[in-house]
Amino acid sequence: MSGSTSGCAHSARKSSVSPTDPIQPAAGALPSGARDVLPVEAAELREVEDDLRATFARYGYREVRTPVVEFAHQLERADSGGLDRAYRLFDEAGRVLVLRPDMTIPVARLIATRLPEHPGPIRVSYTGPSFRVPQPGKPVASEHRQAGAELVGAHGPEADAEAVLLLWDALRSAGLGHARIGLGDVSVTDAVLDGLGVPTDARTRLARAAESRDLVEWRTEASALEIGGPGRDLLAGLPAMRGHAEVLDEIAETVPAAAPACERMVRLLELLDQEGLHDAVLVDLGILRDWQYYSGLVIEAYADGAALPVAQGGRYDGLAARFGTPRSAVGFTIELEFVHRALAGARTRRPLDFGLVLVGGLDALQAQAADLRAGGIPVIALATGDPRAEALAAAEGWRFVGQPEGSALRIVDRADGAVLVSMTALEDLSSLR
Amino acid sequence: MPLGALYQDAIALLGAAGVDVAPLQAGGRKLVFQADDATVFITTRPSDVPTYVEAGAADIGIVGRDVINERRPDVYELLDLRFGECRMVYATAAGEDPTPEIIARLGVLRVATKYPQIAEAHFLATGRQVELVKVSGSVELGPLVGLADGIVDLVATGTTLRENGLVEREQIFHSSARLIANRVSHKLRAEDIDALTARLAQAVAAEAV
Repeated sequence: MSGSTSGCAHSARKSSVSPTDPIQPAAGALPSGARDVLPVEAAELREVEDDLRATFARYGYREVRTPVVEFAHQLERADSGGLDRAYRLFDEAGRVLVLRPDMTIPVARLIATRLPEHPGPIRVSYTGPSFRVPQPGKPVASEHRQAGAELVGAHGPEADAEAVLLLWDALRSAGLGHARIGLGDVSVTDAVLDGLGVPTDARTRLARAAESRDLVEWRTEASALEIGGPGRDLLAGLPAMRGHAEVLDEIAETVPAAAPACERMVRLLELLDQEGLHDAVLVDLGILRDWQYYSGLVIEAYADGAALPVAQGGRYDGLAARFGTPRSAVGFTIELEFVHRALAGARTRRPLDFGLVLVGGLDALQAQAADLRAGGIPVIALATGDPRAEALAAAEGWRFVGQPEGSALRIVDRADGAVLVSMTALEDLSSLR
Repeated sequence: MPLGALYQDAIALLGAAGVDVAPLQAGGRKLVFQADDATVFITTRPSDVPTYVEAGAADIGIVGRDVINERRPDVYELLDLRFGECRMVYATAAGEDPTPEIIARLGVLRVATKYPQIAEAHFLATGRQVELVKVSGSVELGPLVGLADGIVDLVATGTTLRENGLVEREQIFHSSARLIANRVSHKLRAEDIDALTARLAQAVAAEAV
């Protein structure tokens, strides 16, 4: 558009509010990172959520819900850095509230404060959104739709194996049969550092390198330490070590002090092998997300089509104690939208929804519409003679359009264009299901 | 693949590590190249390399430490490739360093830079207040024309600084080219990436001899 034209358009609308007026956001504008979910996506997200919920239930994990708002100081007591990117607000007494930035800590709070009499182990699951302020320039949403499970009051490789198996089974049930699960272990890394006598200040620097996934910095720091022989080489290459049980055997051999921690992880791998997860699992000692928070196993799950892990979790035995009831715990959180994205990337076109737009369903065919709905077939009912049936079916992505033709019914299957004209068309439709 | 200063060295190192870089050497105006073994090369501005890798558009990338420090991408940094060596420095006009005087009398230092995150972190860590002027090119001009008291910029040989009458006052960090990997690709293609990293490490070591 040329300058003079836009100038005319502007002067013509002088009195009304311009769509680019900075004070009045456009009608579709949302806060940064926020977005709407439209019917097709909502249906698919619901399917993913239902699959995950059903799997959690099969393993005996009962659902709990926590509030979206919490006191900031409650969550801060669990993880001081955890509120860095939380949305904050004030209540009527001026206390600082946060929109929960993750689900794990509120669920840990719930278990510690509401279920102290439970003999344990406690198995709970959850589904819901958590909120984080998006970082500028990064394509990450502010609302994270999450589902997860926690096994509280159980420790040892058996409990860890249950968590990993449940995660894998949940992802598989949602359609990610080829997900890969990466396992790190803070206790193995800690035992190596202990065994080699790495001083505290160096540990802090190593932890920072590991958490920012900077293996170059880790190698530089490790190589500068006063450690002799194979120990130093092992330490320098530790976060790059990956594979399967042989990785742990090598560590235990070089640093005997780390042998018990390695044995625990080898036992975990044996248990997972027995479940048929050998090829799905990758031991990767570079998976060290939050050293303060995790006390043992660290879990990540990956799928093609998602640029970030579709799930994260691990063992955090120290967390519950901060809410007054010390208990060991292992769990994970699945990012529903990442799962959905990976599925959408792998899947061909979504098939049309099994439903019927029925002309006459509002009047002449009212009873038939009711029967179909009772039989579980969705029906959009229109009045006799309504010309919008085809357009509606196209807009809704529905498969069937029906209308009376003489004394029979004419049904068009939009999936393949087949036309069915018969007295018993509706029964035939039910049998197609 | 980072276009510009690192490009030829990156191709040479990949070639030394046994990667088929023939399509890159052919040149032309294409931005995406495919080798016979189905490896796809994406060429882009260095500052965009972490963006492509972080988003998973590329599994791995080669980029300078300066870009990583400025952008702080959520990626694995796997290997120091030891080419494209340079320093991130703070420099002011030649003569006596005006910095202490400015801090004492005005309280705040004015610094022109293409690297606002790095500059801010450096002055914060050294306890000095700073006002950053973000520029897109020819940072050296800043102190000369009174835009800023000093600059934070990348220096390889120091020739540009000298020719513009500037003197390096503080080194912030040493930079070189790094191999980075997407968080998910690093696990899903663990075997491929580990093999390539090992071959590149060998090529880097051979180069150093």
